[in-house]
Amino acid sequence: MRQGLDLQGLSKSFKGSPVPALEEFSLSLAPGSCTAVLGPSGSGKSTLLRTVAGLEIPDRGSVLLDGQDLAAVRPERRGMAMVFQRPLLFPHLNVLDNVAFAATIRGVPRRRARADAEAFLDLVQMEGTGKRVVSDLSGGQQQRVAIARGLAARPEVLLLDEPFSALDPELRSAMHELLAQVREKLNPTILMVTHDRDEAAAVADHLAVISEGKLLQHSTVQEMYTRPASLQVSRLMGGTNEIPGTVRDGVHYSALGAHALPGNHQWPEGPATMVIRQERIILLDEHSPGLPAVVTGIRNRGPRKLVTMEAAGVNLHAEATASPALATGDAVRIQLPTPELAVVGGTSEHRSAPLTSPDWKVLA
Amino acid sequence: MPAAEVLTARTRPRPRTAAGHGTKARVQGLLLAVPAVLLVAFVVVGGSAMVAAQSLGLMPLVGRPELSTAAYTAHGGDLLVGVGLSLAIAGASTVLACLIGFAAALIMMQGRWCGKLVAAMSSLSIPVPHIVGAATAGLLLADSGLLARVFGAAERWPDVVGGQWWLAVIFEYAWKESAFVGLVVAGTLATRSVDYEETAALLGAGRLGRLRHVLLPLSLPALIISGTIAFIYSFGSYEVAWLLGRPYPEPLPVMALRLYNSVTLTARPEAAAVAVVTAVVSLGAALVALACLRKIPLWR
Repeated sequence: MRQGLDLQGLSKSFKGSPVPALEEFSLSLAPGSCTAVLGPSGSGKSTLLRTVAGLEIPDRGSVLLDGQDLAAVRPERRGMAMVFQRPLLFPHLNVLDNVAFAATIRGVPRRRARADAEAFLDLVQMEGTGKRVVSDLSGGQQQRVAIARGLAARPEVLLLDEPFSALDPELRSAMHELLAQVREKLNPTILMVTHDRDEAAAVADHLAVISEGKLLQHSTVQEMYTRPASLQVSRLMGGTNEIPGTVRDGVHYSALGAHALPGNHQWPEGPATMVIRQERIILLDEHSPGLPAVVTGIRNRGPRKLVTMEAAGVNLHAEATASPALATGDAVRIQLPTPELAVVGGTSEHRSAPLTSPDWKVLA
Repeated sequence: MPAAEVLTARTRPRPRTAAGHGTKARVQGLLLAVPAVLLVAFVVVGGSAMVAAQSLGLMPLVGRPELSTAAYTAHGGDLLVGVGLSLAIAGASTVLACLIGFAAALIMMQGRWCGKLVAAMSSLSIPVPHIVGAATAGLLLADSGLLARVFGAAERWPDVVGGQWWLAVIFEYAWKESAFVGLVVAGTLATRSVDYEETAALLGAGRLGRLRHVLLPLSLPALIISGTIAFIYSFGSYEVAWLLGRPYPEPLPVMALRLYNSVTLTARPEAAAVAVVTAVVSLGAALVALACLRKIPLWR
């Protein structure tokens, strides 16, 4: 019976590095689920994937697949396939033989292995390219073939190590669509690492945020955005609004006033920072009901604008559509919808400028 | 843009400008190489032409030039035996060098202390001249050599040096050329073997599977090229066979030098004929290697 992948207390340090790459990292993946491990560069994402694959031996902890400890199992016997950032197609084989590689290794007769590989090439919409030399393919095509090759090995777990990060946005979207189709048809358990939260949200149903080798939060995509477990998670997820205050009886008191928190959650009492996604703040004209604020800066974000405001001495950021036209110095009203509020324990330093973010996009 | 359209766009032939840039870069590369190529061509082609002319009686030391193949038939049987012997020595030593060199490259790629040791040993043996290697092999492997004395087996010691099977000659070439092959193959594998090995492992390939299906095919072009260089060198090299081999039959280079240094000056065309045969066989080996390379997808 499939029980999924279970990572228990994984720790890994590298010689010469003062910080452990992984520290007591535990995570459970249900069979057929897709979990994206999200974190900044150097946070231990790739080490995690390599440890799961058996390419690195953990100092402590264990990897269990369907309840079986894989500590003594060599990478080739773990039932996992990995797609790397570079497609790493074998240059001495053509496209079809690359996809048929796992079957060839298992001793499947060549004709059958190739017929099987054809089916997987069809799956990734690369039909008819079997006889081509891999160097003739574009980056996106090569990555498709790499995915087909991984899937053709019939892995219980498919490991994806930032497989789309080298592709242009258009191709990346196509690959996300492809991955969704693959999940629909084959339903493998997928563990993917990425530093792009939009990509993670697009392909995964669960996110795990990692920083300095530690798991900060593991939850559904929606929860990760709306209920961050800490300010660090909120910031890693691109959240920019942090309002220091105090929670009493499910209400957050701050310079912005009293804000009732969503009732479906147990909020910590005492000093706490209220967070709200910038795309969830409602911007209204100055005659509407809401908190008064003054626009202090506007930055274009494609079809949207990132509006920086000051309200009762607190800097806030909101995403607005191109209309109505706003200008620096304009008075506006803002509303912070209760269902969109969340608090995390402790207080933060008040921010005066928007956080720099490599991939500012709207989740909604 | 839908996925299908994206793919179609990516599969279109490269635009003319990209091809133009490629041609321009190629022409620039060729132009840069022209001075060196001209100089080498002058020496090699000029030297070869002179030797060929001498072997065909067109450049006699005395008398009138006359086209003749007498130099090729003067030692007819010995020349053929020499070709066979040289081919056997060069072939055996090249096969050994490729096997040892490939194994050494794999050990070097492991990156552990033993890999570093093998890399250092290989690097150290490359600058040692063959004549020094041959003298060392003689002192080590002869029936009065170090190993025979260490094992106290002077009487029973096999004829490694000067024996029927030319073993010392083959070992010396294999030792020297394996270091060369090892470093060339390791250099080829260094940039990508680890990634491909890991990929293959995660696709279910065990150690042997990875060796057979990944590492060997990836190394094949480098093995063919370095093996061909080692073969041609061993085939045309004189000093090792002269020092460690038997007086008769003679491999081609030994025969060529003996005839060239002969007190009978009229033997010079015969020496030239042996040199021409050596050059033709070497050229044939290079052509065979090129034909093999053209069949390898990785080379294409």
